[in-house]
Amino acid sequence: MLRKTLIHDTFYLNLGPQHPSTHGVLRLLLRLEGERVVECQPVIGYSHRGHEHMAQNRSWLQFLPNTSRMDYLSALLYNHAYCLAVERACGITVPPRAEYIRVICAELNRIASHLLWFGAYLLDLGAFTPFLYAFDDREDILAILGEVTGSRLTYCYCRFGGVARDLNQAFLDGVRAFIPKLRRRLKDYHTLVSKNVIFLNRTKGIGVMSPEQARDYAVTGPNLRASGVNYDVRKAEPYSVYPELDFEVPLGEHGDCYDRYYVRLLEMEQSLRIVEQALERLPSGPIRAAGVEQEPAPPPGAYHFAYESARGQLGIYLVSDGGRIPVRMKWRVPSFSNLSVLPELLAGTLVADTIAILGSLDLVIPEIDR
Amino acid sequence: MRALWEYLWGVLSGAWSLAAGMGVTLRYMLQPVATVQYPRQRLPLPEAFRGPIRLRAFPDGHHCVACGECWRTCPSGVIKVQGLKAQAKDHNRARYFFIDFSRCSLCGLCVEVCPQQALAFSREYETVGPSRYLGVKDLIAALEQEEVVP
Repeated sequence: MLRKTLIHDTFYLNLGPQHPSTHGVLRLLLRLEGERVVECQPVIGYSHRGHEHMAQNRSWLQFLPNTSRMDYLSALLYNHAYCLAVERACGITVPPRAEYIRVICAELNRIASHLLWFGAYLLDLGAFTPFLYAFDDREDILAILGEVTGSRLTYCYCRFGGVARDLNQAFLDGVRAFIPKLRRRLKDYHTLVSKNVIFLNRTKGIGVMSPEQARDYAVTGPNLRASGVNYDVRKAEPYSVYPELDFEVPLGEHGDCYDRYYVRLLEMEQSLRIVEQALERLPSGPIRAAGVEQEPAPPPGAYHFAYESARGQLGIYLVSDGGRIPVRMKWRVPSFSNLSVLPELLAGTLVADTIAILGSLDLVIPEIDR
Repeated sequence: MRALWEYLWGVLSGAWSLAAGMGVTLRYMLQPVATVQYPRQRLPLPEAFRGPIRLRAFPDGHHCVACGECWRTCPSGVIKVQGLKAQAKDHNRARYFFIDFSRCSLCGLCVEVCPQQALAFSREYETVGPSRYLGVKDLIAALEQEEVVP
């Protein structure tokens, strides 16, 4: 009798908001029956800063530093996306050199973001060593980007019509040395992690997301591609100089945690290819478009722009009345949709797998709360 | 028999994957240390490093004319400038240039927007203090304390 009640007793568990595996301030309210998760309810909003409202209180230019505070792990990508959106709305043509510089920096930032995820995810699963290697590599990228952007994490490097600063020799040398180094390291990562029996047992067949589920919840980015759906904004709605560059979109088969991990590792290789090609083709010329106003304002109307961030499709919706200050700015962030599929993935799994599934989605909480 | 064989194969392949991982670790153990022991060792700052802004020093002092362009552009509104004219027909010249660094996001818009190129990033990075008011600085007073380096 006692045994029966213990097993069938419903039990509520608060995972977070201070739990180290939630990577930020996400709270998961789990309803458990024994070791099994019956229901999961994500609670968000702990780091809400009102960025969209802030946008309505400042000029288009003044919103630039805010963009890098939403997803601080891929700050440059957000910076790039915002500049591209406003430039398209205003009809500004960016010089090719500036666009290539932006793509090089953005792809480096994407690698840095995936590396941090790689290290932190394995730390969640109890492996400490890969974390140190990943942070060593990430440190190289931060030093390289610091060489030209002047900051290490929350960059404010892109400007309307160009970039803030031209590349220097230290940056070029740093990137050229870094590409072969990371290629060697990726081989080590595969030996150390991808073939490790403990890692395989903890991730293979765990948290399977079917392509239909992914589409239903508008999951994008590596999480969607791990389920085998070939969708990448860089290919589907090309922007910037991506059509000129040759790269592949890695796909998974089963949509489990392992595939989500493996797709990200393959994406790093593709990003390295993009950086390599962009460096080869880097044209000379100006880095700022001539004749751009100090504070450009889009003509009246509504605009939407899609961008592939490190976590998925980033959508920026702008409404302008032609004035100095935006009327409305809405950010469709990928992590929010990726989080919404979590309750479905967690239903019926073990508590220990919750961490593996949650980590594999690569959520950045300040981006969700924004 | 088959089950036993599969079990043994699992144990062997698992043991091999662990040994391969240990091999990688061993290889890195024999390589130089990647960590920099910070207070004793310091990395060189990058050329583009962004520290709290400062007024650039010229032989005739600073070049700020207190036009207030940085004040208006600053997204966080942390800059306040007041100019002074020595005589009625003189050019305006900044007398006070206050910045609250504790709220600055180092975006660099003020440095870019300055028509006189009077502003630059400093190279300070150890800017921790026990009070938020320590972030408030008068850049002109700071400039007067420094020696003039053109």
